[in-house]
Amino acid sequence: MHKVDDAVRAERSRLRAHLMERLQQGDGDACRALLNDIGPAVMQFLRNRVANPGEVEDVYQDVFMAVYQARHTYEPGRPLEPWLFAIARNVAVDHARRHWARASWEDLTADPPERATNDSLAPEPDLDGALAKLPPAQREAFSMLKLEGMSLEIAAARAGVSIGALKVRAHRAYQALRRIIGGSA
Amino acid sequence: MPEVPQIPQSDRHRVLVERLAADLKPVRPLWSVRVRLALWLLLEALVLSWVALHTSNHFWLKLRTPAYALEVILFAAAGILAGVLALRAAIPGRRLRQGEIALCVGLVVVGIALLMGQPTRTAYPLSQFIQIGLKCANHTCRFAALPLAALWWTVWRGAPLRGGLTGLFIGAAAMLFSFAVMRIGCPIDERLHLITWHLLPAFIVIALSALAGTAWLRFRPRAFG
Repeated sequence: MHKVDDAVRAERSRLRAHLMERLQQGDGDACRALLNDIGPAVMQFLRNRVANPGEVEDVYQDVFMAVYQARHTYEPGRPLEPWLFAIARNVAVDHARRHWARASWEDLTADPPERATNDSLAPEPDLDGALAKLPPAQREAFSMLKLEGMSLEIAAARAGVSIGALKVRAHRAYQALRRIIGGSA
Repeated sequence: MPEVPQIPQSDRHRVLVERLAADLKPVRPLWSVRVRLALWLLLEALVLSWVALHTSNHFWLKLRTPAYALEVILFAAAGILAGVLALRAAIPGRRLRQGEIALCVGLVVVGIALLMGQPTRTAYPLSQFIQIGLKCANHTCRFAALPLAALWWTVWRGAPLRGGLTGLFIGAAAMLFSFAVMRIGCPIDERLHLITWHLLPAFIVIALSALAGTAWLRFRPRAFG
């Protein structure tokens, strides 16, 4: 992952804010430019939040629709990113809630799993599977800090929480992962 | 990590962006929190002025008593702070600082503590207590009705992400300020009367407002999440 210089990031943020203001005025070109620009960041954000990779695309579309519908609530002159990621986080959390509700129902109605026939073959630790079992906030904290190598400051800003709160989430994620992988190995 | 399609380059992304760009219409951004708060305070000032002009309560004399003046100021300040939080909660990405929420709660707690310092009199019949009290409860709600509706309307135009909390702030803003207004309007300074007929209705409406906020978020369009 490339470390983006603060000045470049600030300039990009200004450009996005400017595009958003033009989008509010009904400028279609600005709309295209902005959505193409924020697409990868939103996608990366959702990958850390959505447990099932196959559903990322649907959530991504929901985020764009929500951004579009809430475009009048963006305050011109303010940075776009907190507004954008608050909406994305909300859509992802809502999706996670539906996902867990559905998963719980499927667990209840599914046939009981067959007992393993060969206990001597210990499976490789499944990090993706273990991550999917974490609550979204903990998964996001772990992914940003350990998989993407973000600094605490940037990760906390991205998650919209204080550095202390992010540390707590990451710590809980480590403990949970240790428990999950240790239990399954 | 599992294979995930690179959406921004995908056809689905392009189709989505083209569709949104084609349907795009100009929108008027929300007025800033300051402007909307100023308008809401203007409305509250009108309500307060009307009550001050029509009350038989000698509140000017009572305001010389520090505890009374402080109580009115604390509840009004808590109402205004809750209004700020409600307006901010309607904008995605605007932080609701825990310190501000704690300050709001603290103002109410100190206000209630001052209220508890008022004398208690039980030398009047229960029927009179209820008859007068119902009028006060009615007035507390009526004085809050217009500011409450105005706040709901302005928040409705936004995109609050936490409905229950937003509803709670809206209710708190209108009802706490209305409580302060009623301390100006009501000549009775008796503790039990104030708690039962002023404070309790305020808290009930605040709770109902929080429930309304939760329900609203549940049934609003799916795209908001």
